[in-house]
Amino acid sequence: MSVLRSDTDLTAGERDAVDVELAVSGDGAAFERLYYRHVGRIHGLTRWLMGQEDVDDVLQDIFVRLWEKLHTFKGQAAFSTWLHRLATNVILRRRAERGTRSERYGGSLVELDRAAAERSTPGLKVDLETAVERLPERAREVFVLHDMSGYKHEEIADFLGISAGTSRSQLHHARMALREYFEG
Amino acid sequence: MSDHWTEKLSAYLDGELTPADRRALERHLEGCAACRADTERLGRVKEWAATYAGTAPSPSVWRGVRDEIRRREGPAALPIAARRRFRIGTGLPLALAASLALVIVGVGGWLAGRATAPGSGLGAEERGALGSAGAMTIAARQTNAALLAAERYGAAIAQLEQAVLHDRSRLDSATVRVVVEKLGVIDRAIAEARAAMAQDPESAYLAEHFATMMRRKLNLLRSASAVRRS
Repeated sequence: MSVLRSDTDLTAGERDAVDVELAVSGDGAAFERLYYRHVGRIHGLTRWLMGQEDVDDVLQDIFVRLWEKLHTFKGQAAFSTWLHRLATNVILRRRAERGTRSERYGGSLVELDRAAAERSTPGLKVDLETAVERLPERAREVFVLHDMSGYKHEEIADFLGISAGTSRSQLHHARMALREYFEG
Repeated sequence: MSDHWTEKLSAYLDGELTPADRRALERHLEGCAACRADTERLGRVKEWAATYAGTAPSPSVWRGVRDEIRRREGPAALPIAARRRFRIGTGLPLALAASLALVIVGVGGWLAGRATAPGSGLGAEERGALGSAGAMTIAARQTNAALLAAERYGAAIAQLEQAVLHDRSRLDSATVRVVVEKLGVIDRAIAEARAAMAQDPESAYLAEHFATMMRRKLNLLRSASAVRRS
């Protein structure tokens, strides 16, 4: 009996493309697959850009928005890239609504050093995730937007109201703090 | 190593240095082990971020997404399936991987329970559908088909598992070790899938994933059995 056909011959991008096509045609199971395939990464993005507050609520908003906008995905970029952009837009809008930008601004190199120093457990992934959370707000935002979401410094500067040079500098500081988590 | 050079390492990795700066930095790297090590580690940070798989949110998030879409578009919006052509990937779904216990439990009893009480773990829509085959939704049929497949796999697994593991002396120790390790991984995935399904019994995706894991276990045991016979 062969109830299930294997999709192991497809690349991740191909699986996404197939599932987007199916989901747009109304296949709920395909949409659910897209959700499970990407929600972990988008969860990290949301947590690191929003803080712990409202994370589940924002995640829900992102994937409801995805359902509504899925038909506009034309495949010019990878689905994951497109989804990151959509998610970032939702997150930034929610942050603007929350109106806490000025309160959340900043972070110091002292905090960066602490983030690097507080390597406490041998679980590398957990350590890195914790370290990212502990990065100063601005450095974390730039790191997540640049290295996870693939935005350019000029775009990040526009999002965050900083200069592209500041964005570059913050990215470098964030990476330097996180590099401590890898063996030299 | 100096701040002058380390400040440029990220830009170097991102291909943002001018050609002259890049050449100057590369000359410096040839003679500076510390900067070379930093460059390598910064690159790994960048790579980690690019491939970061994330951690699972609460299962309630998916239910919230589904409920909100249904609220906006009507109860048929999700999870109606147009066609069933492709199945989930090879990786364990992130939503399942977060915090579920590693207890390996026999699936046979659970499957037997499902067989004697059809729809017992399903949502109201599915229970209604199972009670009236003609009215069964496509999504409910998908879920049910996956569970029936898993049930059939379960029966074959029970036989093979007994045959392979009780006659392990006919296998060399290295093969036994590999088989046991792989069975452990698959059994954990099965246990995780089962736990996730208990949280979200309406999910066709989880039912499919559960059936996939069962099929993998069956295939592994078949391979081991073939080795044993040979």
